[in-house]
Amino acid sequence: MSVRYFDEVQIDQELEPVEKIPTIDMAARFGMARETPMGNRFTDAEASRAIGVQGALVPGPLKIAWLTKYVSDWAGTSAEIASIRVAFRRPDVAGKPLILSGRVVDKRVQDGKSLVELEVVTLADGQPSVRANVQVRMPNRP
Amino acid sequence: MDEDEIKSLITEEHRSSIGVKSEPVVVTVREADAHRLRDLFEDDDPRYADGTGIAPPYVIATLGNGVRPESPNVLPNGLMTQQEWKFSRPFRIGEELTAVSQVSDIRDRLGGRYGYSILLTTTTDYYDASGSHVAAVMLTITQFDPAGARE
Repeated sequence: MSVRYFDEVQIDQELEPVEKIPTIDMAARFGMARETPMGNRFTDAEASRAIGVQGALVPGPLKIAWLTKYVSDWAGTSAEIASIRVAFRRPDVAGKPLILSGRVVDKRVQDGKSLVELEVVTLADGQPSVRANVQVRMPNRP
Repeated sequence: MDEDEIKSLITEEHRSSIGVKSEPVVVTVREADAHRLRDLFEDDDPRYADGTGIAPPYVIATLGNGVRPESPNVLPNGLMTQQEWKFSRPFRIGEELTAVSQVSDIRDRLGGRYGYSILLTTTTDYYDASGSHVAAVMLTITQFDPAGARE
């Protein structure tokens, strides 16, 4: 991993897409194995079918965590994620590949901090299932 | 049902829950959770390696158990439709944080698959032992009645 500086970042710069394949095992390891009276929609495809989803749901927080790491990997080891705001557009199901992609939409200095804003998405079958806006505090070149 | 005829189901009692802070709940940034998630995500960021004492930001997903504000259930079903994480500083392994939650917004939504639904937003803020803000989670649940689903 490396350091990316604020002055290297360009608006409209694109992040290299990454493919992830969510699994039921990942949902369980993430901490979503809790049973409820309605079963567990994240580890039991039957429980998900009861709400009209054809397969075990991929937990929303798991997708946020993936997107957080995706941007953090791009931003480098001296940057900090300040915030990530996510809108869940449609459910994702375990076993179906997701493509993570994103681009820089703004950069500015605010209150002495060098901030970069990105829009990132998860794409399932080419359609966004999650849209997110991420704000990153970037380091300045020494 | 004609959308013009739809009346809000949000009452003054529901609105009165906005801004009411929960009792504080103490949560711990656990090394085991940080380690488990780093392994799951194959995260090799040296800032979060064993011995650094720093946890990756996504460990916030493990802090929420038992941290829920009293919030009105106006409609029978709910789906998480938005979530936001904010970080004022990195998490430190082993630190205890005080979580305080509240309902921050409740509003009607017309249209969409269920015709009428309610957006309920809760906020949980995490503070360290000195009272400094560390992080926050904003969560929006869309409440709906399956009986109102459109064809």
